[in-house]
Amino acid sequence: MKRRIHSNEEEAEINITPMLDVVFILLIFFIVTTSFVKELGVDLSRPSNEPPKDVEVSEVIAIKIDRTGTITIKNRETDIRAVRANIESALAIKPDASVVVAADREADAGILVRVVDQARVAGAQRVSLAALAR
Amino acid sequence: MARRHSEKQEDTEINITPMLDIVFIMLIFFIVTTSFVKETGIDPTRPKVERATEKPRGNILIGVTESGDIWFNKQEIELTLVRQRVEEATAESPESSAVIIADDGAPTGVVIDIMDQVRLGGVIDISVAAELEGS
Repeated sequence: MKRRIHSNEEEAEINITPMLDVVFILLIFFIVTTSFVKELGVDLSRPSNEPPKDVEVSEVIAIKIDRTGTITIKNRETDIRAVRANIESALAIKPDASVVVAADREADAGILVRVVDQARVAGAQRVSLAALAR
Repeated sequence: MARRHSEKQEDTEINITPMLDIVFIMLIFFIVTTSFVKETGIDPTRPKVERATEKPRGNILIGVTESGDIWFNKQEIELTLVRQRVEEATAESPESSAVIIADDGAPTGVVIDIMDQVRLGGVIDISVAAELEGS
């Protein structure tokens, strides 16, 4: 009796070896292809080809970057390290102001990214881009 | 004789059920976390900033060299092709966002043109790659 049950059990077993092979190959494939490297980035938004929103002139802090990478805030040349302080003082006067960065097409993208970053650090809620005409 | 043999075999068998559980859990984990990121093929100098956020769904990577060349999926492409490539990428994984990896000295005009093309391709979440200061 004991023997019969035993032999029965063995027959009912499914051979899972091929499935295991497949599972292991899949596992190795996914381990190899997975890349956990995530890019760090600064969000940039630009209203392209849309009509500009109705914002009062007084509510805009305009920053201009010219061809050589010179930063101008309120018609005054500014160093990149002074951008944050300038925006902070402008925001203290007009807390709802949005920052508009207008960059020349030939200017370095790095300067643009840094200016946007400094504006964010200074506490500006809305930072948008405007490319100067070609 | 036959019976003794079979009994002996069963005794030496290792229980693989816990290992199988672990393997399946690992398999599911890797399937879920895999997002097939296409490398740009270039490694530009990213601008150093104070505040940068991680882009967990940044699957569409577009590289811009210092001279203004555009790289996507290890190939140099024209600006007019950017939109098509972005549309193809969003068809594969609709929730992806775009990261433009622009060199510190890349021309702003090219970056802005790419942003326009990416937006026309249907991706609204666009960011420019940066590096945290001091890292």
